[in-house]
Amino acid sequence: MPSVLEVRGLTKKYSEGDSQVKALDNVSFSVEQGEFVLIVGSSGSGKSTLLNMIGLLDSPTRGKVFIDGMDTSKLDDNQISSFRNKKLGFIFQFSNLLNDLTVLENVLLPRQIAGSDDTARKEAVELLRTVGLEDQLHKRTNKISGGQAQRVAIARGLITHPSIVLADEPTGNLDSVTSENIVKLMKSMAKKLNQTFIIVTHDRQHFGHADRVVTIRDGRAVDETFDETFDETFDETFEDTLEVAT
Amino acid sequence: MDYRLRLAKRMLFNKKSSLIGAVLAVMIGILVIHVNFVIFQGLFDAIVRDISDYRNGDILVTDEADFIDKSDLSLASWFERIPYVEATTPRLSSTAEINMTKNGSLIEENRIPIVGVDPFRDVRASTVHQTIADGTYVFSRNSIVLGSNVAENLGNAQVGDSLKVLVVDRWGEDQIRRFTVSGIAKSPGGQGFDYTAVIHIDTLRDMMSRHGDTGSFMVKLNDPSKAFEVKEFFLAAFPNDDFVAETIEESAEEQLAGFRSGIAMINMIGYFGMMSSAFAIVTIQMMLVNGKTREIGIMRSIGAKRKDILIIFIFQGMIIGAIGAGVGTAAGLGYTFYAKETKMSFNNSLPLEVSYNWEKITQTALMAFILAIIASLYPSYRATRLLPVEVMRNA
Repeated sequence: MPSVLEVRGLTKKYSEGDSQVKALDNVSFSVEQGEFVLIVGSSGSGKSTLLNMIGLLDSPTRGKVFIDGMDTSKLDDNQISSFRNKKLGFIFQFSNLLNDLTVLENVLLPRQIAGSDDTARKEAVELLRTVGLEDQLHKRTNKISGGQAQRVAIARGLITHPSIVLADEPTGNLDSVTSENIVKLMKSMAKKLNQTFIIVTHDRQHFGHADRVVTIRDGRAVDETFDETFDETFDETFEDTLEVAT
Repeated sequence: MDYRLRLAKRMLFNKKSSLIGAVLAVMIGILVIHVNFVIFQGLFDAIVRDISDYRNGDILVTDEADFIDKSDLSLASWFERIPYVEATTPRLSSTAEINMTKNGSLIEENRIPIVGVDPFRDVRASTVHQTIADGTYVFSRNSIVLGSNVAENLGNAQVGDSLKVLVVDRWGEDQIRRFTVSGIAKSPGGQGFDYTAVIHIDTLRDMMSRHGDTGSFMVKLNDPSKAFEVKEFFLAAFPNDDFVAETIEESAEEQLAGFRSGIAMINMIGYFGMMSSAFAIVTIQMMLVNGKTREIGIMRSIGAKRKDILIIFIFQGMIIGAIGAGVGTAAGLGYTFYAKETKMSFNNSLPLEVSYNWEKITQTALMAFILAIIASLYPSYRATRLLPVEVMRNA
């Protein structure tokens, strides 16, 4: 099966004063069509940076990202925008919908950016029905709950039939029941549409849904399968993070 | 509807205070220009109107050799055969010394401008007779109308008073006649004959020994826009005479030149005011862009190009410009309507000659609209420079 995504030697360095910080260090892996992949790691491990590179929102210091066999480093700004629009779907932690638009308009937006077509509206309504929001079509997105907003974001991420849907902590802002429902929904959509999902998460309860787990530790991809040792270090770091947060 | 226009509209209308602020900025810019136009152009036009109505007509005919020796009857008839001509009247001017005895004391006034008029023709071609505040206009050879200032200087001369007028004739001899005051003329703003005495033209001809001579012809048209055409036609019809014919713009140029440059300066101040409105729009649009960085980041991350973001904020500038131009023009027209209907004047001065200059109104609205778009260019450009990854990180 051909790779939808291939990440080769991805390195990202940031300058912090006089010193340089390596957010990603020579990360390589590939994802196949229809896979449901989780990228996990503790806070500051570089997983969101990795997702931004895959999503062409940020450029690597070194290394390359191939999507559908295309070397994305060769694209200019306009081509990157078109590429993001057509090949990638995004789901963010805080759903990041446009509050000036209704639920339906938010879902339609990526298709309208691509150049509107007659089927877009019908497909958007169908997608919203699939995610259980057929009765919320014309509501402003600031009038719906966090779980509903994430469902809208999922529908928006799928409307352009992208090669990959990228989700950055999609359940980070939701309670555990809603989180579970959202991940289940994404999993079912992945299965139904043979859609590739790459999800960055902290949440261990979702590991069971994954076809594959890519673990990032200190900017490196440690293991592409479930990492037993990660579980312990993850627990410690996660507890630390929670403590700091509270 | 294009999604960018819809988004621009929603973003703007959901930030009502910014929208109102920006629209007010455009509106005030336009209103200042309208108010300036109504007042200063209105004053200018009022002066032109009064010079035309009281003194020069739409065309003023004189002679290079000081006096027109053609029969006033034949010349007036010639003009009045032209369909555009409403009326023609001859005038003769000189200066006089006037004295009268009031309450037992003799009061003398020197160098009073005196105008001789044909009472029958003058009331058709001029509106001086409408400025008679007391009494009647000149109606007989020994009646005199005094301007209000002349009457005041003569110890408050009144209708029915008798006075003596001295004019030096063409041979240098003093010619004295006695007149009875038939009326006192007072015009708003003093543009009429407030500083002048008016008598019958034939009496003045007698006193000046200028029988059959006329100083000028005042030609009033029913369509003032045809003045140049009529003037050219007249000059072409009398090529061998030394006539000088001038339209009101030409004959009053000396009086109006200073005023005209004043208006140009005031207009310039108005347009500078509009430029300040543009700066206000830049500030408000920058605030809008800063308040919408999250939305810009989302748009960029789901595939919107820099061009799309630019268009959204330019659309916002267009919406601000269109609403501002509409509201500003409506407010300006409202003010113009009020000024016209109330015959607005300041300190009992001459009433403004208010007109709807549609060309200028359209030009002002269009300029405000274009300025609002230009003012939105920089904030729009700034919006396109936002990096989605930075915006999403800070959102």
